[in-house]
Amino acid sequence: MTETILSLEGVTKRYSGQAAVSGFDLAVNRGQITGFLGPNGAGKTTSLRIALGIIKPDDGKVRLFGQYPKAAILQRVGFLPEERGIYKKMKAEDVIIFFGRMKGMTMTAARKAARDGLERFGLGGEARKKIKEMSKGMAQKVQIIATLAHDPEFIILDEPFSGLDPVNQKMLEEMIRDEAKRGKTILFSTHVMEHAERLCDQIVLISKGRKVFDGGLPQALSQVPRRVVIETASDHDLRQVLGALGAVEAQTAPEGLKGWTIELAAGSDAQDVLKACVEGGVRLARFEPMRAHLHDAFVELVETSNREAV
Amino acid sequence: MRAIYLMARREYLSYVATWGFWLSLLAMPFIMAVFIGISIMAENAQPTRYYAVLDETGIGFAALIDEELNEGAKEEAIAALRGVAEASGRSDAIPAIEAAINAEPGLEGFPEAVSALGVPVDISAAQFRSNYVRVDPPAGTIDGLRPYLLGEQTLRIDGEKHPLFAAVRFQPGGEYGITAEYWSTNRTSGGLRTSARDALRNHVRSNALADAGISETVLGRIYAMSPGITENSPERGRESSEVNLADRLPFIVGIAFSIGLWMMIFSVTNMLLTAMIEEKGNKILETLLATARYHEILIGKLLGLAAVSATFMLVWGGIGSGGLAGLQALAVAADLPAGDILSAVFDPGLLIPAIGYFAVGYLMYGTVYLAIGSLCDTLQEAQSLMSPMILVMMVPFVIIMATLENPDSLFLQYASWVPIWTPFLMMARLQTDPALIEMIATSVGMLLTAAAIISLASYVFRQGSMGRANASSIKRLLKFGKIRNA
Repeated sequence: MTETILSLEGVTKRYSGQAAVSGFDLAVNRGQITGFLGPNGAGKTTSLRIALGIIKPDDGKVRLFGQYPKAAILQRVGFLPEERGIYKKMKAEDVIIFFGRMKGMTMTAARKAARDGLERFGLGGEARKKIKEMSKGMAQKVQIIATLAHDPEFIILDEPFSGLDPVNQKMLEEMIRDEAKRGKTILFSTHVMEHAERLCDQIVLISKGRKVFDGGLPQALSQVPRRVVIETASDHDLRQVLGALGAVEAQTAPEGLKGWTIELAAGSDAQDVLKACVEGGVRLARFEPMRAHLHDAFVELVETSNREAV
Repeated sequence: MRAIYLMARREYLSYVATWGFWLSLLAMPFIMAVFIGISIMAENAQPTRYYAVLDETGIGFAALIDEELNEGAKEEAIAALRGVAEASGRSDAIPAIEAAINAEPGLEGFPEAVSALGVPVDISAAQFRSNYVRVDPPAGTIDGLRPYLLGEQTLRIDGEKHPLFAAVRFQPGGEYGITAEYWSTNRTSGGLRTSARDALRNHVRSNALADAGISETVLGRIYAMSPGITENSPERGRESSEVNLADRLPFIVGIAFSIGLWMMIFSVTNMLLTAMIEEKGNKILETLLATARYHEILIGKLLGLAAVSATFMLVWGGIGSGGLAGLQALAVAADLPAGDILSAVFDPGLLIPAIGYFAVGYLMYGTVYLAIGSLCDTLQEAQSLMSPMILVMMVPFVIIMATLENPDSLFLQYASWVPIWTPFLMMARLQTDPALIEMIATSVGMLLTAAAIISLASYVFRQGSMGRANASSIKRLLKFGKIRNA
């Protein structure tokens, strides 16, 4: 049976009468990587703070490991906040030891975890360096190490990729995958869809404080209309040739060609379009079924949600 | 508890494990020693000042001024020897010391006074000799002396050139038969001017008494009379009722504790504010809040800085006690009642309330400063919120300074009932034995107010930590209050 590590049920939080999150539900199951997506100001950070008991909801129920998120439960959680903060005057190793000990580790275990973590992130030689003497990226790595030092069962990362260069982003992606392979449960918020698309088992999308999607990646991608892009040297009006298969729109194309986009209707697929073109005598210079991306799903879902809200 | 301990430990070590902390900690006694040393050196390094007397009356005012200057030196010498006598338990020798010095002209009786004291001292008569030296006037008129007074011409004394510091001219005339003029470019050093005036007054008064038929012998006896007064405490038996320096020390120490308490709370709460703003600016709070709860962070910080102030007190207390003991071993400071000072400082009746008042005062002001820090990202932002706080904190300091010699003043009594000032002002009043009911009532008021302040400040801290309130929110709130009041 699947164990739910975190659950928010009908959670509402208002600031000055305005809802930051409203009737929000979230369930994170053990061993999953859950992507928590949403535009800026959607309520992601507020939801995560509620999940950790940093702020109390006005309504709704929060359960972390089956109980209200008290300080003792937080020892099983590693949290990397969006606003990265670290003691600048402390040495890298000491920062990790401090946060490790705050999470219940012994001094010896925390020191070992600090050294191992720094080695793993290529900062073994910087252990005795003060944070203020490090680059922003290095300091961010130290904070990630501090988040994971106590080997938490549940890892919450709020916008973990922001501020990292592509090499370190890749390293962090690998780290998230490694932790997931070790059976850890991971919840991370982001608005960079590529990371979510590559990593997530489950995606939760929030907009204006309300959940607009909760499901797997294929399910999310299925929300995006499938498209086929065609370029042709023929003078055919493809609206007439392909009109029965979906919505056809003229597009710009290289000189001497005409461009079209077909948004496929339910029950049609790219093969039907190709067959109709061949039968209609359309000479194809380009025929490209477009693969749906999470980015498109995100935009589609948020826009649909906004339209419905209006 | 563990989170509180770790927070406190981190806060403590963030100060104590730095070179800067120890340098500033040790620099303070050093700077104080330097200040005291400089003022003693400045006092002892007064230059010799040459003056001339133009006496057109023929009375001999030059000798009378010398006598007045010697009188001042005698008084200083008696005061110094009296201090040694009191400190070394030889108060019984004081009348003999005074008699020995007063019996001889100038300081010629000093060696006999030291013999009467019966305790070896590292004090010489030369220390008390006046630095004013009379010279024969190089000219017979003020106009003739003017170039010397202005430094355009100099006197040659022992082969060296010196300017004339001052000239005093006595002439017949005026309401009392003699007038005097003091001429000098120096406007601040008034010792000679005072001696010249006293010489003139004594002469005029003596003449008037002689005119009234009192003989010179009787006058001499009258001037030799120098009755004293002992200060006694009705709380003691007749035999041991006399009050001495050791009895006054607890009052002095009580006031010193009160001022020290104020300074300590003021400086440590400022450290709290700076640390809080730094954490807010570095955005560490959210990371901490995923590990510990608000109250744990708040209490941890307060305890950490309290430990820092305890370190200050222990180190300074240690240096002070060691310094006192060391000083007493030096002959020059033999009159320092080090034992009495230390027993007054470590008196449990003073020390325990001082610790209690420090704890409550620190909690009250510390949480407010932390709350202000949680609202601000920079020190500049904090300054505008700090101004009213600083004013509130300055009031007890001003009251203590204004009632230094009057710790039982009615104003101080009323002001000590204001709960936010109670820790400082009751401390200052403690040695005046305030009524028990008054102590209990002010303490209850202070504790209740502290609880209310801590609770409100904790709420503000929670809002400020998560960015739900900032300096502008408070300003808006204050403006709203003003509008409502209007």
